[in-house]
Amino acid sequence: MKDARAIELETLDSGYRFEYSATASLESEPDKYKRADRPASSFTDGLDSDGRRHVGVGDNVIKKSQTVSGPVALVSTIEQVMEFLTDGIPPGTIAVIDDSGGTLTAPIIEGFAGVICLGGTVRSHLGILAREYDVPTLMNCKINDLKNGDMVELEVTAAPPAADAYETGDTGHARIWLIENEG
Amino acid sequence: MANLNYRSLLETNNYLRNLSDTTYWLCITRTVQESKLFPMNPYMLVSYLNSFYRLPTLLREIDAATPAEELGDRAREVSLKVDTVNAAWGMPAFYLIGREMLMNWGLLRPTDAVDDVVDVLDFSRRFNLAYHRNDGHLTNKEFGDRSQFLPERTLQVFESDLHGVVPGDRLHTAATKLVAQLSQFAFLAHCECRIGLHNSGPYDFGNNRQMIMRDFFDLAEGDYPWMDGIATQLPLNNLTIPIVFKDTNFHLMDDWASFEAEPGYNAANIEAVGMYTSDPLTDGYIPVGMDNADTLADTMEQYREILNEATTDLWKRIANWSREQMIDAGALVYSSVGKDFAHLAGTYRQDDWFQIDERVQRFKPLMNDEYGRDNLGEMVGLLSLPHQKSNEYTMARYSGMNQNMLTGIPYSVLTDDDYAPTAGDQFSGSSSLPEKSGLWTTSAGRIDIDEYNRRAQGFVPAVLDGTHRYLDEEWVKWNHGTAQADELYRLTQRGSRNLEGRGSGLRRADLPTTDTAKGSDDADR
Repeated sequence: MKDARAIELETLDSGYRFEYSATASLESEPDKYKRADRPASSFTDGLDSDGRRHVGVGDNVIKKSQTVSGPVALVSTIEQVMEFLTDGIPPGTIAVIDDSGGTLTAPIIEGFAGVICLGGTVRSHLGILAREYDVPTLMNCKINDLKNGDMVELEVTAAPPAADAYETGDTGHARIWLIENEG
Repeated sequence: MANLNYRSLLETNNYLRNLSDTTYWLCITRTVQESKLFPMNPYMLVSYLNSFYRLPTLLREIDAATPAEELGDRAREVSLKVDTVNAAWGMPAFYLIGREMLMNWGLLRPTDAVDDVVDVLDFSRRFNLAYHRNDGHLTNKEFGDRSQFLPERTLQVFESDLHGVVPGDRLHTAATKLVAQLSQFAFLAHCECRIGLHNSGPYDFGNNRQMIMRDFFDLAEGDYPWMDGIATQLPLNNLTIPIVFKDTNFHLMDDWASFEAEPGYNAANIEAVGMYTSDPLTDGYIPVGMDNADTLADTMEQYREILNEATTDLWKRIANWSREQMIDAGALVYSSVGKDFAHLAGTYRQDDWFQIDERVQRFKPLMNDEYGRDNLGEMVGLLSLPHQKSNEYTMARYSGMNQNMLTGIPYSVLTDDDYAPTAGDQFSGSSSLPEKSGLWTTSAGRIDIDEYNRRAQGFVPAVLDGTHRYLDEEWVKWNHGTAQADELYRLTQRGSRNLEGRGSGLRRADLPTTDTAKGSDDADR
């Protein structure tokens, strides 16, 4: 135990700070971790011919007959989930979640009209649950910066990735458009 | 203790290498899991070490009470938590990955703990051979990613008794919503890992239909201390939902018990559903709400409501945990994947399975999120730990590179005694979680652990007693219609709505048609 602590102490004394994955880690030992949120993967902006701005791509979990649109809500903390639990989720909300796990949003996932997940694959736990709950969802998304309230449209009419897509790299075929910016 | 000789070591190393190849394939082709709520990678590493230090002793005790191949028979007949992902793959894999960690740190040589490795893998191999007896393979991977455990007599009951549905009817809606809720709750109760869910099959149900078995385990008060007071209105700890799909080919059912289908899994293609329970005390599958479609829809809706509330209750409890509590809980979920062997044998003790061993606690300060992620990624994805290399001429099964996830046992141990045979069998441990104080939810009601063990000791399901145990599918093929075969089939047909007492002489054409075809017994549509 003492040796293990000494190894970590030596690393921290050198000025190094660790990357975190769970918010509980950052909150319990803030001096040990970098407080850097996951950077949004830059995506080439472009106006479509119909005036929508193409702001991202992802992997579609369930092929639908129509696209889905709605205002964005960024969800990444326990406190936000607790607020949604207490106050409810405004109808039509599309969640932007930077966690492909299924537990952070466990009590509220069914209430979203759509999900943009900034990680994982269609086989991640969140992808599995999206399929079971029939919530239109794009996984493994690369997006420009989106803010709470931005109106987006998800191309959930796109074909889901092939079984070997994550080995071949043939991913990211479902598009995300910005319809209306909160400014 | 292990019987060390050339034959047993050859078998051990063969099984180990197959596990190594399969685990690598699973890790690179399925999905990397992350969680903002749980520090998953640190807890996984802690769990592997906990498995390494504790599992050999626990399995020896279980094996002495109920041999591993008998436990495989038990798991083959009904849905138990000692299943594909937990017992068949996870238990030996977690143990061996813990060994790799210690080798990487220079604290263990490949010759050390050799008796432990041989015993764990011997137990696991015997379990798997019996578990997979009906398809004759050792793993799903060896069978081409298929998973067909059940005998004809069980499948005939399902085909006859499942209730037909059409998309949008009450039962179809109730079933799909319950499966979603069960999946959600199982992920949460198991700290974001998938081991509370299990899928098996597919089974050919004729007319371009396939049936898969969807199991959900540890849903109520039981082994997990954090489940005390949660979902107390749910009368059962495990639920199995067989689902029949039309026009869907489940072409992959892997050793993590997850599936791929072509076209994709689509609730609109569900044609029939049912619900059953089983646990270490049940004699076969017990129908749940199966009297008619309305009763089944009622039951599913009620369970969904209970689990919906339980999800919120449990989430709030977990959201207040400290980081260490999250790590301990997650690690214990993983390292206890073999715990239901102890339930079956009647040797279960809470502290055996739900403490982090003191020898593991030593390493916790290393387990920050980044180290956890990178150590795990190198060990099971990149296979880049120096000791995982093999000679430059070798090409591994899936990667084509000269590296293997798991390290074999050198045969030199047969002539050289410079090794420690075991990690030892004295336990002391602790946990940051509140102690378990609740009861155990079983098919025999909510009981304490002494009563659970007492009931389990000496219990043998009727289809596995001395006169029936070896009457397998091959035997049935040559003996159907005999009094002995009829008796075997009637044991499985007990409680069946449509097949009770019908015996062994039935083919698919003789079975009662499903509700869909009959147009009767419909739920509200």
